[in-house]
Amino acid sequence: MSSDYDRPRADANAEPCSYTEYDTKERAVGDVPATGEGAEGLDRDIWAALYEVEDPEMPVSIVDLGLIYGLERDGGDVTIDMTLTYSGCPARELILEDVERAAESVEAVENADVRLVWSPDWSMDLVTEQGKQALRDFGMSFDQ
Amino acid sequence: MSTAESDLGSADNLTEREQKAVEAQLFRLADDEYVQAERYTFWQVRAPTLESDLASANNAQDELGHARLWYDAIQQFGYSEESLLWESEPSDFQHSTFVELPFEEGDWADAVLRAYLYDVAENIRLSALENSSYKVIRERTSRIQGEEGYHVEHAESWLQRMAKDSDASRRVQEALDRLYPYALTLFEPVGDVEADIVDLGVRTMTLDEMRKEWKDRITEFLTDLGFDVPAEEDPATPVGRDNNHTEYWDELYEEMVSSYRNLGRHEATKLMDPEEDE
Repeated sequence: MSSDYDRPRADANAEPCSYTEYDTKERAVGDVPATGEGAEGLDRDIWAALYEVEDPEMPVSIVDLGLIYGLERDGGDVTIDMTLTYSGCPARELILEDVERAAESVEAVENADVRLVWSPDWSMDLVTEQGKQALRDFGMSFDQ
Repeated sequence: MSTAESDLGSADNLTEREQKAVEAQLFRLADDEYVQAERYTFWQVRAPTLESDLASANNAQDELGHARLWYDAIQQFGYSEESLLWESEPSDFQHSTFVELPFEEGDWADAVLRAYLYDVAENIRLSALENSSYKVIRERTSRIQGEEGYHVEHAESWLQRMAKDSDASRRVQEALDRLYPYALTLFEPVGDVEADIVDLGVRTMTLDEMRKEWKDRITEFLTDLGFDVPAEEDPATPVGRDNNHTEYWDELYEEMVSSYRNLGRHEATKLMDPEEDE
């Protein structure tokens, strides 16, 4: 067998495209996390809806966990940049879908898309004060 | 050692040569992690303590998560998950044969040592990708490196404990003698594209440099614990990277795709597909 690189054969004619199942963007622009502080009008309503989405394992909002890295809106089209706490997160599809649904639940939002972002790294430092309080109530400790 | 001076750009503006080099690096990352995870799962209900069952399961989940990140990066070149995993041929895969070897029931020393040898190599490889000229690799690497640190720590702490017990240390030494030539396959090239990977800055260390660093690190640690690291220089064959695998891989692959086939699937169904069709 030739030693030259030839994987995979099944898809020899694949063409590069920037769209995948969930569009990904490598690095968030601006400070992370984004929490919607100071948002007004429709943006504020969208942030309020995102606050309602909780982590599937803990009673804390994904916004307070610091997972939202950005929100852009063009009329009724919303794009949300988001990361996950863990690369092996088995609830990935579930969470991303929940976030899109939440944003689309706001009247005047026609379409919401989540872009999965893996940089900068997420860490406990990105959890908001309110989020830390919710996690403490849940029984987690931050004081090491 | 070369460093990335320029950024190659994103998936859709690479030249053919650049894309080939980036893909070759990504496939090895994805395939190694995926198959390593498949094998780890054997231990998640067979490890010697509940705590180590959990650790094995967790490491497997980590590696699957990393494999997903790398296969996602490959999909930016237009490949589908179906063609990458479920509908490919076993010989399409380019993981090292080291990660495909089966475990023998009860041989926990093999599992610990194998994890150690692999995770040190993985740590070195990721360090060589932190400044990759391909942004997708560079930025995902940082995320993954953070999770891999625990793996080395876990394996080292087990080896330190096993070194103090005569029966356990004998088993570790046997595993070391047996696995060492296979571990060397991790540093084998996939083909001529290897030189481009370094020339284009996709990875900032050559395979030889990585192998040397790996050898130095494991030799220092294992010798300190009283083990003899084989002097062997030649990797076991087949090496895997050149698409040639052991018979164990065919068996594992069959198992891996059996549900997909038995259910008559033609696509990798996602949790949310039915509702998206509405």
